[in-house]
Amino acid sequence: MKELTYNTEDPIAALATGWEESAIAVIRTSGSDAIGLASNIFSNKGGLQKAEGGTIVYGYVVDPETGERVDEVLAAVFRAPKSYTGEDSVEFYCHGGIPAVSVVLSALKKGGFRDAAPGEFTMRAFINGKLDLTRAEAVHEIVTARTARAHSLALNRLSGGLEKRIDGLKKRLLDMLSSVELLLDYPEDELDGQAGEYPLDAKAVSELCADIGRLAESFKAGKVFRDGVPVALAGRTNAGKSSLFNLLLREDRAIVSEVHGTTRDYIESWITVKGIPLRLFDTAGLRASDNPVEAEGIKRSGEVIAEAGIVLYLVDSTEGLNEEDEAFISGFEDAERLIKLWSKIDTVPAAGEENDADIPEGFIPVSSVSGKGLNDLEDALSEAALGRKGLEDDVVIDSMRQRDLLSRAKEALVNTAAAAAEEAPLDAAAMELRDALDALGEITGEVSSADILNNIFSNFCVGK
Amino acid sequence: MSNTDFDAIVIGGGHAGIEASLALARLGFETMLITQSLDTIGRLSCNPSIGGLSKGNIVREIDALGGEMAQLIDKSMIQFRILNQRRGPAVQAPRAQADKFLYNRLAKETVEGQKHLQPFQDTVTDFILDHDSRNIKGVVTERGRRFTARTVVMTTGTFMEGKIFIGDYESPSGRIGEPAAIGLGSSLRRLGFRVARLKTGTPARVSSASIDYSRMEEQPGDPDIIPFSFANETVDRPQVPCWITYTNEKTHDIIRANMDKSPLYGGKIVGTGPRYCPSIEDKVVRFPDRDRHQIFVEPEGLGSDEMYLNGISSSLPETVQESFIRTLPGLEDVKIMRPGYAVEYDFIDPRQLLPSLMTKQISGLFSAGQTNGTSGYEEAGCQGLLAGINAAMYMLGRDPLILSRSEAYSGVLVDDLVTLGTKEPYRMFTSRAEYRLCLRHDTADIRLSEKAAYAGLRTPVAAEALAMKVKGLDEIKDLLASRRVGKKELEAAVGRVDGIEQRLGESFEKLMKVPGFSAADLLVLDPELENRNRRWLEQAAIDIKYEGYIGRQEKQIRRFKRMENLKIPVDFNYDTISGISVEAIEKFKDIKPLSVGQASRISGVRSSDIAVLLVALGRGAGVSEDDE
Repeated sequence: MKELTYNTEDPIAALATGWEESAIAVIRTSGSDAIGLASNIFSNKGGLQKAEGGTIVYGYVVDPETGERVDEVLAAVFRAPKSYTGEDSVEFYCHGGIPAVSVVLSALKKGGFRDAAPGEFTMRAFINGKLDLTRAEAVHEIVTARTARAHSLALNRLSGGLEKRIDGLKKRLLDMLSSVELLLDYPEDELDGQAGEYPLDAKAVSELCADIGRLAESFKAGKVFRDGVPVALAGRTNAGKSSLFNLLLREDRAIVSEVHGTTRDYIESWITVKGIPLRLFDTAGLRASDNPVEAEGIKRSGEVIAEAGIVLYLVDSTEGLNEEDEAFISGFEDAERLIKLWSKIDTVPAAGEENDADIPEGFIPVSSVSGKGLNDLEDALSEAALGRKGLEDDVVIDSMRQRDLLSRAKEALVNTAAAAAEEAPLDAAAMELRDALDALGEITGEVSSADILNNIFSNFCVGK
Repeated sequence: MSNTDFDAIVIGGGHAGIEASLALARLGFETMLITQSLDTIGRLSCNPSIGGLSKGNIVREIDALGGEMAQLIDKSMIQFRILNQRRGPAVQAPRAQADKFLYNRLAKETVEGQKHLQPFQDTVTDFILDHDSRNIKGVVTERGRRFTARTVVMTTGTFMEGKIFIGDYESPSGRIGEPAAIGLGSSLRRLGFRVARLKTGTPARVSSASIDYSRMEEQPGDPDIIPFSFANETVDRPQVPCWITYTNEKTHDIIRANMDKSPLYGGKIVGTGPRYCPSIEDKVVRFPDRDRHQIFVEPEGLGSDEMYLNGISSSLPETVQESFIRTLPGLEDVKIMRPGYAVEYDFIDPRQLLPSLMTKQISGLFSAGQTNGTSGYEEAGCQGLLAGINAAMYMLGRDPLILSRSEAYSGVLVDDLVTLGTKEPYRMFTSRAEYRLCLRHDTADIRLSEKAAYAGLRTPVAAEALAMKVKGLDEIKDLLASRRVGKKELEAAVGRVDGIEQRLGESFEKLMKVPGFSAADLLVLDPELENRNRRWLEQAAIDIKYEGYIGRQEKQIRRFKRMENLKIPVDFNYDTISGISVEAIEKFKDIKPLSVGQASRISGVRSSDIAVLLVALGRGAGVSEDDE
């Protein structure tokens, strides 16, 4: 929590785009006097100061010490509260490239801005009420999203998708709790048959419980999209791993040869399969080797395979299964992580169709030459990464905090269901429901028990 | 020592005023109770009953803290019931019908008999303050008397600028036939207090002799009476029934046809009424689909012919009231003795109070009861008691007694009022309490005995009674853990206790955890248990049965207390912290929360404001707080 001690008074500046060669770079500033300070290092000082929020001013960034014009830029002006952070803010669109960005940043610092700490812009947006917690968490991912799919999931959350989903769950829970509280708040004789004997519908409780559980489990999927999944290519030497690696990368990255043991150390690269970011590892083929370099490579391969989320095990169809293959496959504990591939089917003689019958059970035939079987492989990768049902909807959670709170809500509902099953007194069941409601409220950063009474008053005629 | 006429002056002799003045006087402070009429001390203005869900718990909390209400109802009840018997012990509560004339007389006698307490009949119209209006110095009355005092407790009920309405009829009254207290509301406004209007209502009282009870359902009391006061072993009072009847479409048609004559719907009443206790006009408008509403017919007292029509409060013209009441079965020929009416009155926004119930603006001035926007005798009583205690603590220079949300309904009540304020007359509900499994009525003495001792109001009798109870409970729990369902017990119980056959060899303790078994079954298994205190046996059985739930609730309470224990200095300067929204800073400065927990409950304050506040207080997440 130390980062919370940011001094929110300081004017801050930072490069918003990447530290790399690019046509344009964006430098963002924020602070209560950001516009005034920025104008001090800007050629068109008055223009910037008078600019309305949401407009762009053309000019030069001027080094305040030397008076030198360091870059030709566009300056976008945002006035509080209509800015990302909720404070006054100027964004400079300057020339890309590290040297150009450096001189502009240096001018800004001389002009009174300090470097922003990681996440400080978002922190300010949160503090100024521009973002709730779930949205603040989402911004981080949009910035770091690895694939377009991950990006759109994060965008969905930023637009309040998760908030809406949780509000929906909260509403259902609140209705349930209100019907219980009604009975607890008014004596039996005053209700005049307005509520049934046992107000908790076990089916509705378990449905809600399942929905919360599903959202909690989407953490796994959220993590997949955020961190990617390590995928290791494994198999005996010369099984075709490097060829497949190159095919999946769509470039000749790994050296391919017919010499056994060509790949000595593992190499890795990011690929995208059906929108899922995968970190693909090509490993040294597995065989007993006297060569110390190759032996070390094989050892490292073992480590990569052990830690991989998915393992693609290749068997050369021209060679067929041998004892080593069977030992690896049967020794592999987590079958869902393993995809078995029957490689080099292009090299099997022309009457290949009949050879399909020879494909061992559970193997996917692939050809790195023709690309045959690639679709099946991609399906299998997606399934292994996200589970059989894939990603069921667009809202996924990604933070441990959210997952833990959802799990707490789920556990409370499991207890509620148990209490309902034995028709436990309602006061006990209500305690569990409240706990669940509090947990959901914490996700979006708000809990209100006044909601319960309001719900009761609006739905029932009670009281003498 | 003191050069004032009194140590304390209590304005008003209702349920808050009684508790406040008795507490002050019992702590040895010279106290004057000024009321407009000495004959109406402790009058039950509306329904003739005390207790009810969560309210019954409050009455027992008042008793545990050294207050009077439980004793008064124990001596004046004419019917006793435990409500919500089937819905779990945490939400069960005692309620008693009172003989309201007897209750009134006993209250007056108690006040009159109290040493250091001087009742006095007059109307307070203004305050005496020190030169810069920061400290209370006394009061001025309608007859021009000036009394000085170190502390003043306002408990004005519905009387402050009160006005009653019946159809076209309007009268400056606090209750029908009793003049309003004019002047004090204006004084408060002049001093800059935020004062607003609330509305409540009461139904007609009718002649019992004119009712045909054969057309109504009888509602008897429970055979077993549990005294409200922990000091009373038993209550020996006659019990009489209440009666139930219903409105019908004819009733509703008459009300609809005359809605234009309602002062409420005609716009004459500006105050907000209670949603939970709507007038019959409100019910008909808001719930047009309901074809009937339940009405309880309750005796006002043993010697009285008056009956109270619970559920049909109205401010329609008297003739309209008569015609719709006569559509109810059993009331066809009923004679109205007093009409129903609405009353509108001044209350102060309770967010102007500290959790001690002292006003933030004027030191030494306390406020309690309906003056703070609540409704109900019990809600008034606990506030009066706490205001009286805290006026005493103030004079003694000691920390105020502030009850937590996790230890008393009274704590929930005060915290809600001073933190959230209220827009309608505030009534306690069990759902307002987050930790009600730990707020059972039968544990009020255990929960609050130490608090009573701190205040100096724990009597030796109460302390002794509690010590015996705690010892008795422990003994019973030990016994239940050691006793088993043997062959002999099984023989005695077969056929009388369902499912006992499968329980051979089990301990009584384990048996109590099985759904469906209760303390009554233990008495069948072992008649010797009859020799134990029956109420303690039941309490022990509940403790055992709910052990798991109570344990989880206690865990929640520990989590809650972490934020409560993060104290905010009273003179904390919110202007020096940046990053908190302007709205939140204004609220913090207005409410002056005593803890981060209280701050987080202020409406409109966001979690980000709390996060920044924590940082500003030097309490990042790494700081560990005391769990207790």
